[in-house]
Amino acid sequence: MTEKKGHFDEDLDLRVSPKLSEDLDTLFKPQFSVPPEVDRAIMDQANRRLVQRHWRHRIFRHISLWRVAAAAAVIIFAFSLNLTQKPGPTTTSSFIVEAQAVDIDRNGRVDILDAFKLARHIESAGLTGKSLSPVSSTGQALEKRGWDINGDGLVDRNDVDLVALSAVRLDKHKGVL
Amino acid sequence: MDSDQELLELVNQGDPDAFEALYRRYRDWVYRLAWRFTGNQQDALDVLQETFTYLLGKFPGFSLTASMTTFLYPIIKHLSLAIRNKSHRFTSDEEILSEIAAPPSKETCPRRSELAAVLTVLPDEQREVLLMRFVDDMTLQEIAKALNIPIGTVKSRLHHALQRLRQDRRTQDYFLE
Repeated sequence: MTEKKGHFDEDLDLRVSPKLSEDLDTLFKPQFSVPPEVDRAIMDQANRRLVQRHWRHRIFRHISLWRVAAAAAVIIFAFSLNLTQKPGPTTTSSFIVEAQAVDIDRNGRVDILDAFKLARHIESAGLTGKSLSPVSSTGQALEKRGWDINGDGLVDRNDVDLVALSAVRLDKHKGVL
Repeated sequence: MDSDQELLELVNQGDPDAFEALYRRYRDWVYRLAWRFTGNQQDALDVLQETFTYLLGKFPGFSLTASMTTFLYPIIKHLSLAIRNKSHRFTSDEEILSEIAAPPSKETCPRRSELAAVLTVLPDEQREVLLMRFVDDMTLQEIAKALNIPIGTVKSRLHHALQRLRQDRRTQDYFLE
């Protein structure tokens, strides 16, 4: 135990005489001391547990370090694989071809104006609401200009829809060819 | 001599000798406190063993934020009350004190016997603080931490306990200059 502390608090009220302190101490002193076999039992237990736990702790720490290192290696490897896999060139080229196909006004941008322009052309041909037949002269003229976007042989509302759709989709790529 | 913190650091590293040093330092205090709570030697020895078993379970990785007595006090109290309830040997602190304060034999000092008798009439919480201060040598701050109460409450309880001893004719001699 630590050294006996002085029994004098700052507060005078809480001070007691050494005699009272001594008598309290004597009153509450057990008549028997701790038997040596109890000491031995506690120390044996301490020896067993501390040595066991110390090694278990070290092994666990060792394993944990290896686990962290392995996880880090896997992440780095996966990341490096991801970096080497660049997008294929076909994606870009197909995107450009598709964008060129729907660029009705040939201004290098695909936007909703292209859809309007195509719709106006169809309407001005006096066939609003109806498909242009590829055999009709106006239809053939339009088709020649490559406006049969869906390739069904007709230039109609469906093609306008496709251009509008492309304009919206292309908007993500800023609609620039 | 190594401080408690130094010893704890060594025990954290798995040093059984450091644990033994800690055990020797606190053994008698733990035993005495357990005996005070249980009023029985065998129960007190059981509490002693269980307290150090509990402490052992904290290693490695144990860090002490207060004093050792502040840390151990609530553990000893809890274990003692559990053992006392289990064995039904005593029903209250008063009975333990009454046994201590039994009519003095030829060897027992009558003054101490009267002191024990006065202690039995103190409220539990006042007696506890009084004994922690003057038997266990704990500072007011340590008592406050161990009981998890404000220091003002500790002072108030101690003040009332001493006031009672001052006013009782059986113990007022302790306060005469």
